[in-house]
Amino acid sequence: MDYFRVIWTVARKDLLIEMRTRERVAAMGSFVVLVGVLFNYSIDTAIVRPQEIAPGIIWMTIIFGGLLGMGRTFHLEEEDGAFSGVLQTPIPLDALYLGKTAANLVILSLVTVLIFIVFSVFFGLSFGSHPFVLLTVVFLALIGFVGLSTLFSAMSVRTTMGESLLPVLVFPLLIPMVIFGVSATSRLFAGRPVSEVTGSVRMLGAFAILSVAAGALLFRYVVEE
Amino acid sequence: MSQDRLRQTGVALAVLGTLGALLVLWMVFFWVPTERTMGIAQRIFYVHVPSAWIAFFAFGIVALCSAVYLWLKDERLDMAALAAAEGGMVFCTIMILTGPLWARVSWGTWWTWEPRLVLTLLLWFIYFSYFLVRNATENPEQGKRFAAVVGIIGVLDIPLIHISVTWMRSLHPEPVVLKPEGPSLDPEMLITLMVGLATATMLFLGLFLMRYTVECLKREVDQRQTGAQAAQGA
Repeated sequence: MDYFRVIWTVARKDLLIEMRTRERVAAMGSFVVLVGVLFNYSIDTAIVRPQEIAPGIIWMTIIFGGLLGMGRTFHLEEEDGAFSGVLQTPIPLDALYLGKTAANLVILSLVTVLIFIVFSVFFGLSFGSHPFVLLTVVFLALIGFVGLSTLFSAMSVRTTMGESLLPVLVFPLLIPMVIFGVSATSRLFAGRPVSEVTGSVRMLGAFAILSVAAGALLFRYVVEE
Repeated sequence: MSQDRLRQTGVALAVLGTLGALLVLWMVFFWVPTERTMGIAQRIFYVHVPSAWIAFFAFGIVALCSAVYLWLKDERLDMAALAAAEGGMVFCTIMILTGPLWARVSWGTWWTWEPRLVLTLLLWFIYFSYFLVRNATENPEQGKRFAAVVGIIGVLDIPLIHISVTWMRSLHPEPVVLKPEGPSLDPEMLITLMVGLATATMLFLGLFLMRYTVECLKREVDQRQTGAQAAQGA
């Protein structure tokens, strides 16, 4: 089978399951809306303006909410023992990983759009005058995040600790995403010129490439029986 | 080298390392001159810096052995990675404990968001998750592979983490030994540091070899047990 067709088939299957069950999107979606509500009460608006710390909170919400859904990437297959069937098909395992990653990226992108809508409605945020740069920043960070969390969710689902292991494994590796993501979004929100964020965009690009490449390379060692 | 020889070498290195540690303590307290700006607290430098070097060096061994282990599936490489990770974790912990002690006196704060501090803390957690995944699987072979993957991703991500955290302003003393224009330390300080480094290296290698032989013995016990069970069952 053609390499890209494998990726597409795997991604399509995952998205189809998600469309029919809506399990992960429902969990992540309600999580992020409720975080918005809790966030409102977690700061004293007489002292701190929510707009000032919103970019940081947005990224933390993406990470926590994202991990909630990403941790369940392989659950269905693992429960039914279907994954051994998948492993016996003659497809390249890195294509399987890329398909899973692509499906996760689509799901997390939807949730991220919801996060931005919710936060802008709740706190009257303005996203600055460079929507495409903002989009690039967020998208690159999401690629890196999904690349790592898909790999590690394949690992955590096979451990006795399950998803509780995921934050310990993934958080230390997310520092680049948080530092450059928050720095770029804060500047864009504040209406600073694009030249101030090009460095961050480049680093987020490196982070995305590194995560997905490492994931594609190492995935086979995680899933082999 | 046979297992016995490895163990003997390990013990010998550990004994030498212990003697070296006494010598370093003597040099630190009685011999080396006091640094002008940072004062007496700077003497922790001779323990702190060698530990840091060993912690990163050990992680290099972990990643290298892990990568080759995934490739060749040789048990000995996995045991070497495990032994290096345990030794590295010891020195990483020493670095994390001695750092704040020094920082409290010379910067007036236990912790600051300084690049090298953050990097060290994250390195410690990457080591920690290395052990966590290893022991969290029902099938030990799987645990070894998972740990190897963590080791490799850790070493790939460390440069990126380093670049990211240096983005912020730095408070940590700049390197005084490993820099392009050569060491800028007082000769007596440099000698003390080198003795400290030699000591830490001997201690690490001693621990590494001893841990490696223990792991060999442990696997032998496991194999004999399964062999005995199979014989009983038959």
